[in-house]
Amino acid sequence: MSRRRSFLSTHVFLVTLGALTLYPMFFMVVNAMRTGVATATSPFGLPSYFHWMNFVYAWDGIASAFALTGWIELVSVVVTLAAAILASYAFARMQFQAKNLLFTIMFALLVIPGFLTLIPLFLEIRDFDLLNTSWGLILPYIAGGQAFAIFVLRSFIETIPEEMFEAARIDGANHWRMFLNFVLPLAVPMLITLALLQIVGIYGDYVFPSLVLNSTQHTVSLAIANFTPPAMAPDINAVNIQLAAFTLSAVPIAILFFALMKYFVNGMSSGALKM
Amino acid sequence: MVSVDESRRESPAVGGAPKPKKLREYAAYLFLLPAFAFVGAFSYYPAVRALIGAFTSWNGVSAPHWVGLTNFITAFQSAEFGAAVIHILIWAAIGIPLGLIPSFFVAEAIFRLPGRRAQYLYRTFFILPVVLPGVVGILIWYFFYEPGGIIDSLLKAVGFSHFAELPWLADFHTALGALIFMGFPWVGAFNLLIYYAGLQGISSEIFDAAAVDGCSWFRRMIRIDIPLLLAQTKLLLVLAVIGVGQILIQPLLMTNGGPGVSTTMTPVLYMYQQAIDYDQYGYSMGVAFILFAALMILTLFNMKYFRTK
Repeated sequence: MSRRRSFLSTHVFLVTLGALTLYPMFFMVVNAMRTGVATATSPFGLPSYFHWMNFVYAWDGIASAFALTGWIELVSVVVTLAAAILASYAFARMQFQAKNLLFTIMFALLVIPGFLTLIPLFLEIRDFDLLNTSWGLILPYIAGGQAFAIFVLRSFIETIPEEMFEAARIDGANHWRMFLNFVLPLAVPMLITLALLQIVGIYGDYVFPSLVLNSTQHTVSLAIANFTPPAMAPDINAVNIQLAAFTLSAVPIAILFFALMKYFVNGMSSGALKM
Repeated sequence: MVSVDESRRESPAVGGAPKPKKLREYAAYLFLLPAFAFVGAFSYYPAVRALIGAFTSWNGVSAPHWVGLTNFITAFQSAEFGAAVIHILIWAAIGIPLGLIPSFFVAEAIFRLPGRRAQYLYRTFFILPVVLPGVVGILIWYFFYEPGGIIDSLLKAVGFSHFAELPWLADFHTALGALIFMGFPWVGAFNLLIYYAGLQGISSEIFDAAAVDGCSWFRRMIRIDIPLLLAQTKLLLVLAVIGVGQILIQPLLMTNGGPGVSTTMTPVLYMYQQAIDYDQYGYSMGVAFILFAALMILTLFNMKYFRTK
């Protein structure tokens, strides 16, 4: 009896805190569907009528940002992981003179905080004439992803049993063959986790894109922060249209979250290494 | 450094047929080249530029000139930077416990539930907010704090009507507090997962023994869970110190350091404004240098404390 009651109070505690934690999302989604009057009169209620025009106006405002962000994410993530897994293979499986030195140089980057390089990186992009281009974001994102990805992938490659390399060597395989034939396929789950972490990181980045891109080109996070409802939308709906844009901006990561939950949780737990 | 003998000895395990050593090394450097090219150009170059730029005066256009320690002296004499440092200390004192304690209690509550399914469901609910871009999370709270917004309505509902219509983010007395207390009830997905994983790592024999001895849940938490999660708490503390030291986006989006000149100024926002708004690039890098040095010393101190205990 007392056992049951103690779990009941645990459920009450968790449901209360869970509801409060999720309330901002609830507020966003519910008010994205209604008009200003209803927002003011009942902030906790459900909408009585779905104002889908809010989403139409919101989509018009951020559609191009979705396209640009998708392109930046795709190139950044693919190149980051390709460069990182090659370097990880070398660190884990090859012998060379400067190994310890290069290793130290790479991992010293894990303690360099983002704010230190923010301004000089912006100046560098400006000097390279890459302001207002997607490359002005992609190149720094690739560099920024290396240290952590190499750290994770190198440890992973070191766990692959020596016998597999031995067998491949007897078959006459060189490093490149071993890399392609079994190291790369075995690393796929790890690569998905790393890709997710980087996708979410780039998606949420606001400050650096706000320096690199001008007012005509936006990533999703920038477009959201600078969102102005279209002039023809009724005034009373402005906040609701903005909240509809917020809701749309959460959709891509939400899809990844539910499709790849396991990788998400693993990735967030391993993110402890990132500073 | 790897000696020649060592690499000879290991050489049969790696690579195909024995090749001259130089050729094998050449292959390794080819594997490393892309990663180091990116890191050299877009991580190390700006970092070195930041550290050297800290000793120069530069408006971002004409040639920078060397000013020695002037930037550091200016920063330490600046009232705005001083205010920013004090704000970040207040932020750390309040924000770090807020980040750790609620997450710990939720992890604890979830872990105590019988049944993996219930645990899984609750865990999913609490980490769901990670799907929101950070900017959205902050701007929703901007709505909450607006005069006549949710916070005012709630206070009015429980009888504090004189607070209604208070511009929380624009008032000198409340702006900093509004930023620090944003995010109620402060259950962080990452902290929750770290504590939860920590609890899963504790041997079930210990919990069984506690149950046999008739240990109450509160006693178990104080005597077993909290001491055995010390490593997790220390890790989260180190990360929280680093995180609070770098706070930029909340004041940048919500107040831009105001109201007034520096009510919600933080050191990184100060650094940002000196460069982007005032074209004082050398001085901005000087401020970044001070912060970087301070954070490094703090982190090394924390890590050392970590190891010895």
